[in-house]
Amino acid sequence: MKSNVDISVEFAGLRLANPVFTASGTCGYADELAEFTDVNDLGGFITKSITAKPRMGNPVPRIVETDSGMLNAIGLANIGLDKFIEEKLPLLQKTKPAVFVNVAGETIEQYVTVTEKLSSEQAIAGFELNISCPNVKKGGITFGIDPVQVKEITSAVKAAAGQKVLMVKLSPNVTDISVTARAAVEAGADALSLVNTFTAMVIDIEKQRPVLANRTGGLSGPAIKPIAVYMVNKVYNEVTKEAKVPILGGGGIRNASDAIEFILAGATAIAVGTWNFINPDCASKIVNGIEDYCRRKGASSIKQLIGAAG
Amino acid sequence: MAETRATTKGDFTAVVTANKHISSCFYKLSLQFFQQGAQAFAQARPGQFAQLDLSGTALPPAEELNEQQTDLIGRGIILRRPYSFCEVTAKDDKTSVDILYRVLGPASLRMTTLKSADKITVLGPLGNGFSIPQGKKTALLVIGGMGAPPIQHLASVLSQEHANIYPLVFAGAKTKTQLPFEGRLDEVSKEIGFPIHALAKFGVESQIATDDGSIGFHGPVTQCLSQWLDENEVMAEETIIYACGPEDMLAEVARIASEKKIDCQVSMERRMACGIGICQSCAVECRAGDGGQTEYKLCCKDGPVFDAREVIFHIEKTGHRL
Repeated sequence: MKSNVDISVEFAGLRLANPVFTASGTCGYADELAEFTDVNDLGGFITKSITAKPRMGNPVPRIVETDSGMLNAIGLANIGLDKFIEEKLPLLQKTKPAVFVNVAGETIEQYVTVTEKLSSEQAIAGFELNISCPNVKKGGITFGIDPVQVKEITSAVKAAAGQKVLMVKLSPNVTDISVTARAAVEAGADALSLVNTFTAMVIDIEKQRPVLANRTGGLSGPAIKPIAVYMVNKVYNEVTKEAKVPILGGGGIRNASDAIEFILAGATAIAVGTWNFINPDCASKIVNGIEDYCRRKGASSIKQLIGAAG
Repeated sequence: MAETRATTKGDFTAVVTANKHISSCFYKLSLQFFQQGAQAFAQARPGQFAQLDLSGTALPPAEELNEQQTDLIGRGIILRRPYSFCEVTAKDDKTSVDILYRVLGPASLRMTTLKSADKITVLGPLGNGFSIPQGKKTALLVIGGMGAPPIQHLASVLSQEHANIYPLVFAGAKTKTQLPFEGRLDEVSKEIGFPIHALAKFGVESQIATDDGSIGFHGPVTQCLSQWLDENEVMAEETIIYACGPEDMLAEVARIASEKKIDCQVSMERRMACGIGICQSCAVECRAGDGGQTEYKLCCKDGPVFDAREVIFHIEKTGHRL
């Protein structure tokens, strides 16, 4: 007989069945995954980035594998706001996990447009503000590395988000991530999401030029996990613990052990990203693994473990 | 829900039944699926593919590696690798799937160490394969080097399931050793009349072309195809061309097909991470509408087989878009 373990979490006013999310850009708009896993096992779900107008994305090659990781430079390819509302939103209506829409743009106005238009949609619990995409020429990361711009865009989008939760996704491509984290929290972010990918490059030594058409891409996967855990811990201790703002932690999570590390570091919830590409059912397995871990450690609730590593 | 998922596609355990070095640089891996995996793969169509998880497969010992391979020692892999099938055989409650591969990087190098009874996980079958429109009487199948597997698979299906269609394969490569077929192609030709045994066993006729003339037609396989079309009268509407190979070859096949007003399907190749339409890595530029606009489709989900008319081919050597 299994003892009762509570793995639900409070996340910026939302009660989630468990702390496991799938990260933006690694789970499509949910319908793509339906053949391989049950999305309803998750606590939260973050859509592929949505921009005001459709985007084709970058030329190929868009990805390259590295040791224990991969680089991607997709370039925010997406169907655009109107088609998202028309085609994808109805499917998300029936989804059990809290749905966050990842919002991207080139100007603050574009971010505001997308957020405003979706702010009254019932299917959506909140927004993830993408100010950390390293693979587009305009917008994206340029908003995310300067604390002044982080503040400005966070307040503008917060005002457009109405009653919905606003989570800000931070870039790790900064000297001190606590600085941008603090800027987002001071500007009204309800939650922080970290980390996005690390800007990186792989060179083809036969052709003597970068493999990716975009030259650079964002490094993700197990290669970045220890740095991501460190950054979550730093932001937790220096910013969010006191401000009582939850962190969605992620970077290279493959299994429940990896997920637990992030929770012990200070994350209230965790996001599985790259590993969805390798095992589309892994997030669902992580939910069970977290429960098993709590039981093994005699924790009656996962909440006791948040930030427990100090 | 689980039941419908299992019979169409999914992540299954496959048992290795053979892994054979078939020629200088090519290997053939034979996998067997059971239960739901057998049901799913029994439905696999030519041109579809599967994602093989080779991350748990060992590299060969360092002393077995050649000079070019030594830098691969210790090189970790995380992503699965997409492979199409050269033969699928469903018998009783088991399905056998043959995969042809060439050692190119850390994953295919790992594949060489797989031996009978080893297990790997395989996600599939994925993507859209070749389709066979009504009313076709002649199918011209064009292979460029490692483009052979799905075309071989298609040839076997045509010969077994479409008695009214005459299939003819044109197989090309830079040189004789780059043709991914078992056996000595010149000897077999004397025995059974058609040079490629893997096709002849299904009664499928084939012609070989090499750029250096080391065997068969001296010149690119597309020239061989073109010459055949000039010499043989076929009704365009009753003919179809299927092709798999390097993108510049596919572009030329598409050009020939369009000139002769013959339907043509091409199997495209792109770097993939997930294979199921979520990572958006494998973009293929396609024509969208008549106004010269284009859109990206996904090789894994919308393809890998596309109608040749919709694809904009990117020729790496020249930078041209055709």
